Parts: sequence; C-alpha cells; structure tokens
Amino acid sequence: MRVPLEWLKEFVDFSINTDDLILKLTMVGLEVEGVEKMFDDTVLEVNVTPNRPDCLSILGIAREVSALLNIPVKFPECGIREEGGPSVVAVEIADEDLCYRYAGRDIKGVTIGDSPDWMKKRIEKCGMRPINNVVDITNYVLLEMGHPLHAFDLDTLRGSRIRVARSGCRTIKTLDGTDRALPEDALLIWDGERPVAVAGVMGGGETEVKEKTRNIFLESACFLPSSIRRTSRVLGLKTESSYRFERGTDIELLEKALDRAVSLMAFHAGGKVSKKVDVYPRSFPPAGIQVRYDRVNRVLGTLVPRDEMIDIVQRLGMRAEKGPKEFVAIPPSYRADIQKEIDVIEEIARFHGFDRIPVTVPKIPISKEAKDTRYHLMAKVKESFRSAGFTEVINYSFMDPRMLDTLNIDENDRRRRTLTLKNPINEEESRLRTTLVPSLIQNLLHNVSMGSRDLRLFEISRVFIDEGGALPDEDHHLGALYFREKTPSLWKEETPDFYVVKGALQSLLDDLRVGDYLFHPSSEPFLHPGKSGDISVSGRKIGFLGVLHPDIVAGLSLRVSPQDILVVEMDLDALLASVREGVKYSPLPRYPFIDRDIALVVNESLPAAAIMEHLRAYPTELIEDISLFDFYKGKNIPEGKKSLAFTLRYRAKDRTLTDSEIEELHGKLSAYITAQTGGVVRGT
Amino acid sequence: MEDLQEIKKRFVDDLDAAGTSVDLQQLKVKYLGKKGILTAMLKLLSTVPAEERPAYGKLMNELKTFIERESEGKESGIRDAERRSKIASEAIDITLPGKYTKTGRLHPISTVLKEIIDIFGSMGFDTEVGPEVELDYYNFEALNIPKDHPARDMQDTFYISDEVILRTHTSPVQIRTMERKKPPLRFIAPGKVYRCDADVSHTPMFHQVEGLVVDTDISFSDLKGVLEIFVHLMFSKNTPVRFRPSFFPFTEPSAEVDIGCILCGGAGCRVCKGTGWIEVLGAGMVNPRVFEMVGYDPELFTGFAFGMGVERITMLKYSIDDIRMYYENDIRFLRQF
Repeated sequence: MRVPLEWLKEFVDFSINTDDLILKLTMVGLEVEGVEKMFDDTVLEVNVTPNRPDCLSILGIAREVSALLNIPVKFPECGIREEGGPSVVAVEIADEDLCYRYAGRDIKGVTIGDSPDWMKKRIEKCGMRPINNVVDITNYVLLEMGHPLHAFDLDTLRGSRIRVARSGCRTIKTLDGTDRALPEDALLIWDGERPVAVAGVMGGGETEVKEKTRNIFLESACFLPSSIRRTSRVLGLKTESSYRFERGTDIELLEKALDRAVSLMAFHAGGKVSKKVDVYPRSFPPAGIQVRYDRVNRVLGTLVPRDEMIDIVQRLGMRAEKGPKEFVAIPPSYRADIQKEIDVIEEIARFHGFDRIPVTVPKIPISKEAKDTRYHLMAKVKESFRSAGFTEVINYSFMDPRMLDTLNIDENDRRRRTLTLKNPINEEESRLRTTLVPSLIQNLLHNVSMGSRDLRLFEISRVFIDEGGALPDEDHHLGALYFREKTPSLWKEETPDFYVVKGALQSLLDDLRVGDYLFHPSSEPFLHPGKSGDISVSGRKIGFLGVLHPDIVAGLSLRVSPQDILVVEMDLDALLASVREGVKYSPLPRYPFIDRDIALVVNESLPAAAIMEHLRAYPTELIEDISLFDFYKGKNIPEGKKSLAFTLRYRAKDRTLTDSEIEELHGKLSAYITAQTGGVVRGT
Repeated sequence: MEDLQEIKKRFVDDLDAAGTSVDLQQLKVKYLGKKGILTAMLKLLSTVPAEERPAYGKLMNELKTFIERESEGKESGIRDAERRSKIASEAIDITLPGKYTKTGRLHPISTVLKEIIDIFGSMGFDTEVGPEVELDYYNFEALNIPKDHPARDMQDTFYISDEVILRTHTSPVQIRTMERKKPPLRFIAPGKVYRCDADVSHTPMFHQVEGLVVDTDISFSDLKGVLEIFVHLMFSKNTPVRFRPSFFPFTEPSAEVDIGCILCGGAGCRVCKGTGWIEVLGAGMVNPRVFEMVGYDPELFTGFAFGMGVERITMLKYSIDDIRMYYENDIRFLRQF
C-alpha cells in the first residue's frame, strides 16, 4: 500500500517527523518497506499483512496513526443533493450467501473528462493510472477509503435491472477486452438479460464507462471474500478490487464510500444524483468478545494494567464494557479480523509495544526424549567423507526425467517411480529425484567447465519414490562422485581411483562399525561392467560404487582427457539401520603370536575375496587374522595368472604356540589353499 | 731410558697426526697391541739391571697410562665429531611440501544448520522431522490457512496433485508432532522447503528451522527470551534484537524478529536497505485454532513457534551476496568454508 503523506495528513493531523512515523508504523506491524519522493511529497510503501484489509487505504493507515498518537481521524465531508429522485435501477440479490449487501446510485448527465490535477497526482502517487474523471473517482475512493466501487454506463444496463447471482457456465468479455470462461460458482452482476461484471473482480466491456457516457450507475457492494478469491484465481485475474474484496471489506463503510464518490462525481463531472438503492438482506451485529485481564498478561508475560487495556482497544475504535475479571470488546465493522479473545490480546500487545514485553526463559521440565542418534550418525557420515577428501554439495530435489533414460535405467526399476510437479520451473526440474547420480553429474559438468580437474563431491539428501501411497517414500541417500585427472605430483600416488573410493567407503563402514558387508560385481546399467560393485550389508544390497559407463561418459561431452569418473550411491537409512551400537570390551590376548606368509599364484579371474573366504573357512581356531599384503602381475608370473601374498597371524588363547606346531599347521593350510584355489605356492 | 722419552715423543706426534677413529685404532695397536712397541719394551725389562728395574718399570707403566689416557681422550672427541658430521649429512629439505589427502569441506548451509541445531540442543530442544512431500492439510489447513485464504499468497506452492504439495515451510512438522505427542513439547524441526519462485533473491528450494514450545504456562516473554539467546549465540552477545508485530495465520500475536545489521552495525547499508535492521526470524504465540486442530485444549496450553531461513542466516554469517551460489555447487565456492 502506497501512502502519500500529504493525503494522510488530510485525515490525521500529525506533527511527528517522517522517520519517527516510519518507526512507529513499523513497530505496530505496518512495516514501511520503502520511502519515495514524488511530486514534492513523500510516499511510504507500507507492507499490509493479509489479516489487515482495513489498512489498504489512506483512511485505514490514518486510523492506525490516530490510535498511535491519540489524535482523532478527520473524515471528509460529503454533502449530497439527491436531485435525481429514486434510482431507476432495481437491484436483486439472488445468492445471499455470496453477496451480503448491494447499494448504488444513479448520476445522470455527467460529462466525461479529465480529473483535476491534484486527484491525478494522488492516484499516480499510489501507483495507479488516471483514466477519466468518473473512473478516477472510483479509484480515488478505493485508495482513500479502501472500498472498491464500480461504475456502469447506465444506458447500457438492459431492463434497468441489477441481479447478483451465480454464473452457471458462461464466458464474459471483461474491461480488458478479453473473453473469459467463468467457473460455475463465480458470482456475477447481471442486468435484465446478461452478465455485466464479474462481481468484485472486473466489469464487463459492454457496460463500461466510455467518453460518450452520460448516465452512470455506481455500485458499492460487499461479497463473500473466499468466493471472490476463487473466481479471481480461476480467471487468473487480480485487480485492486479483487485484492481488497478477497481480504474482506467493511460492510458499513460501503455506504460512505458510495456517497463520497457520488459527491465527487457531481462536483467534478456534473450530473444529478439519485436516491440510494440499498439491498442489505441480513445484518451482522458486531459480536462482543470477552477478554480476561489475567489471560492477557498470562499469554504475553506482562503486567499491563486494566486501564491500559481498555484505553488501547478504545483507541482502536472498539467499544469496551468493563467487568470485574474481564471486559467485553466490540470491534468496529472494519475489523472483521477481530473475532476471538486472542485477537484482542494481539491488539493490546501491538499497542502496549512488543519492545516493552519482558524477556524471560520458559520453565519447562528436562526432556525425556531419547537423543536423536540418527542426527549424530548422519554427522558422522559427513565427517567420514569429509576427512576422505570429499566436499559436500546440496542440490535441488528436482531431476530431468530424461536423465533416467540417459542412465539406461530399466522401466521396472524403482527409480522410475517418480513424482511429477504440476507447475515446475522448467522441464529439466519437473521430477523429484529418485537417485542422486544425475545431480552429481551436473555438478561434475559445471565444475569441469569452470576448470576444475579434481572433484571429490558428496551429498546427503532424500529421494522420493512413488509407491502408490498418499505420500511417497522419502529415503535418505548418500551420493558421491570422484573425478581426478592424473597430473604429475611430487610424491607418487599409485592407488587406482576405484580403490581410493572403495577405501573411503570402507573407512565409513568401519567408522560406523558395520561389520557384515560385502562388495560384489554390480549390474547397474550406467556403470562400467568390469569396474563396479554393489555393496551389501547382511546380504541386502544397499548401494553401489563404480566407474561411470564409457558410453555414458561419451555422451556427456566432457572436454577433458579420458578419465574414470566414479559414482557412489547408498541407501543411508538401510546403512544406518545396520550400525552396530554399543561397544563391549574384549580382553587383550595374553600369549604371543606367530606370523607366517604365503604367496599364491592363481588364475587372474579368481577374486581375492574368494581366497580370503577359503582361508577363513579353514577349520582351526588358531588363525587370528589374515591380511593381503601384496598383489602382483607381470614378470616371473605366467600370463593369465596373478600373485597374491597373505600374512597369517597365529595365536592360541591359552598357551604359547611352538614353532613346530605352526610349521605343521601352516604347511597343511598351504596344501589346503592350493587345492581349493587351483593355485601354486610361489617361491617354494 | 732415553728410549722411553723417545717413544713418548713419537706417540705424541702420531696422536697429533691421527684424524679419524680408524687412525686412532691403528695408533693403539701400534703402541699397546700384542705386537706393539710398549709390549715389546716390556719383554725387554728382564735385560735391565736388577737395581734399575723397579724405577724403569714404574716409568714404563707411567708411559702406558699416558698413552691410554691420551688416545682415549682424543678418541671420544673424534667420535663426537664424526657423529655430528653424520647427523649433519642426513639433513633434508623440510620446505618441500608434505603429502596429505586434502580434506573436503561441508556445505556452508550444512555447517550453519548444525550450529543452529546445536544451539537449540544446548537449550534442551529435541529435533523432529517430517516429510518434504506433504499433504495440503498439514502444510496449510491445520495451520489455519484454509483454501481460498489470501494468506496462501504469501507462499507460492509446488503441486504434485490438488492435495499433495512440496512443503512450503517446516511448520507442518509442528502439526505432525503435536498429533503424536502431548505437552510439554520443546523441539526444532530443520529441513528443506520449496517455493516456486526463482529469481535473484529466491531459490526454489531452501532450508528452514522451525521451533515449537508448548506447555501450560508459556508466554510471549518466553518467546522473546529464547530467541534473544539464540541470536546472541548465533551472532554475538552485542547483537541488538527487535520484535515487531506481523502476521502468520498459525500464530497470534505474531512477530518478525530483526537483528541489528551486522554488516554496517546499524548505520544503514545496502543489505539492511538503510534501516539498520535485518529480518531473520518469524515467530509468535501458537494460535489457539491450531491447538484445536490437533486436539490440545487451548485454555490449558499455550506455546510459541518460530521459523527461520538458514540461507539468510548463512548469508549474514559469511557475507554471501548471491543466494544462488548455494546451489551452483561450484567447488571454488564450497572450498571457502
């Protein structure tokens, strides 16, 4: 709401300076968001919250200033000479549930022309455009008093009738020249034959005031706010009128607004004013609200004296009837937002001053809730990835549906069960993510285009799977991406990328004390079939890691040297569910260990994990630990073979092992493992 | 007799000439070894006349002691020098860079979110969560924002269907938690929220932290206390805090909470639009209608709720001037935090 100060001063004669006024308005809830100089005047841009339609006018702001400074509001005089006899228009309200009151007057013999300069300037200062004297006056009164009016060309109203009724299904040509389809329950203003206006939203083109208009019928009405809002939304039409009607207008003031407008018209456009036609089927007597003095202070934590409470509500235009423990507040017709005790408490708080309310801390018992371990585990996951060199990204939850095709994701895959936004910002962001991989690839493309050649990124976010319920499944996922161009480095780093990323995952699993995990070949369609693995915990797949499939990488048109791009995604909920909580101490071993190595030459295709498995399965309790310390292919090893060397640590719980005992056991184990794997022991 | 003087003189010359521990070893062998000069002389003792023998023997012993002492003294000096020179030769260029895996960084939103959660955690707040894809009922209606209410204009909503939306604020977690639990309640609900406007100052997704305190005797003054403590812990003890009336359908009275502009110190700048104040929180006393919706007795219980935008607080904390930076995920940006 734009408020020119010279106009405001006409209603309330304040003398405080502009800065003080701005601060005072802001501190009672009318935030001044901007100040502008225009035509030698100062115009305030006041942010009026949706609950205060009464402040969408100069009068409304003046009432607040009046309450603030305790000076009266001056109301402009409107003397009308009703020379035109009774109105020729017969008004009927057919749908009383949508229209509460409809009043109007005719003005016959007007001359359409320009408005006076002072009026044009005020209209412009408020951000509207002057059109002609009659239309300007309806706008002027709208700005001044907050009540929307509509002027019809009386001669175009067929049958000299006005009927307020629902639409049925129809179209109407509105003032802006557009044919508009109407919702069935839209409230219309009809003449004797046809709709002439969308009630509260916009007039019709055929009955609008034009240059040759001589006779006018001026409407001032009150409608059900939610009906106006619905119609305005369906039509996609938001006007100064609909904005005020959908927030609620003053059913009493509409009469004054009508009189104010016709008196201005008679003066500036000439013409004779008729008597008023006023259909007001039901009256809405103001309901008294009981306000308990002690409740006010309990809710606010204050010690506001009773007299101050009464004074505040009276300054705000309410009547107050004092009682011993409570008072009854009767709000004025323009304060439809005040209906309950809490509404009055709010008014008392506003004018007592939020800054005068004490500062205390709540007395609440200590929470008996178990601490949220999940939040701490998430923090641990983040910290683990961060220490492994990964930087956290946060992406929008949206996804381009075409990415699922790019990734060759099967039609029956769970990740195809996406939710679609009805009103996306664009097609690329029209689905909710079911996987974090597309966003991470976007991050890669962006950063590579910015010159980065070393990217280690991770994200923790929800993904959304439509499982047919009212709401989708929201699973927490961990995603990561690794891309590092090999550059000469001072200290040599020879670990292949796959194992760097796998190491980061193992470190995480270790940190979380997830013991029972396995990596096995993955069948994800977007991963390199020979350089990818699924991760399963307790036999259930919870994620994957792997090199992005070369065909997919080729489609990304990355302008960098060919390079493995690794992606990881894990179901974090499943992972965190397998975290082993609680630690139990186990006693330290009391007897010494003996280490023995064994190097095996086996077929290249035999996974190291299979050999480990065999070793672990050997029936003895004396093996404490098995570790792989060497992997070698090449010179001295036959084509198609590889050498793997393990250290076995032997220890007994109850005695010191002897060399000869271990010599014998290790020998048997060597024979066993060569038999199991078809390999030979190297270097014997 | 003169021989002994001669030997001593030769030994002193030899000792002077010895420069390394090897030289010294040879020197000891030459004089004291089994075939050494002194050993040979000792064998000749029997040829000395009997009356001179004690004196001669004594002189011989003195010479032997002298040689042993002198050569040992020199030897330890040489060893020290040799050890020092060996250590000196082992020096490396310690200015060459060390080898380490550069650790990653957390997203600034994540860091500030954690800070907010920790501050409220220290005040005894629990943490609650709720779905991001939400029913219209929880996001609006139960929060006293009926359909066709102008308050819906305050938030542009992404729709999945007429009844299913992306939550526009974290406030639905209030309702879901109150439906599940009975007072006293004291929790925050952090999370992502969505609004379908994207321009210079808006992103379609951002983060909020909601808070709710409900018990039998909670007042607006408690709201002021809790949020003032929060601002002081989040920014600094000297940050001024201002509460001014506002409107949210689910709280009454409602307040916007401003803090003194931390960039200009209240003098007025671009960030605070010259006012010296920056809006950081929305808050208010829980509207009794909301309590009715969840089946709490509004006569018995009072409470306050608040909500804040994490992006905004992060911007203030790190002087970030473009909200879109958060979601570009440019590594050069992310590595600054």
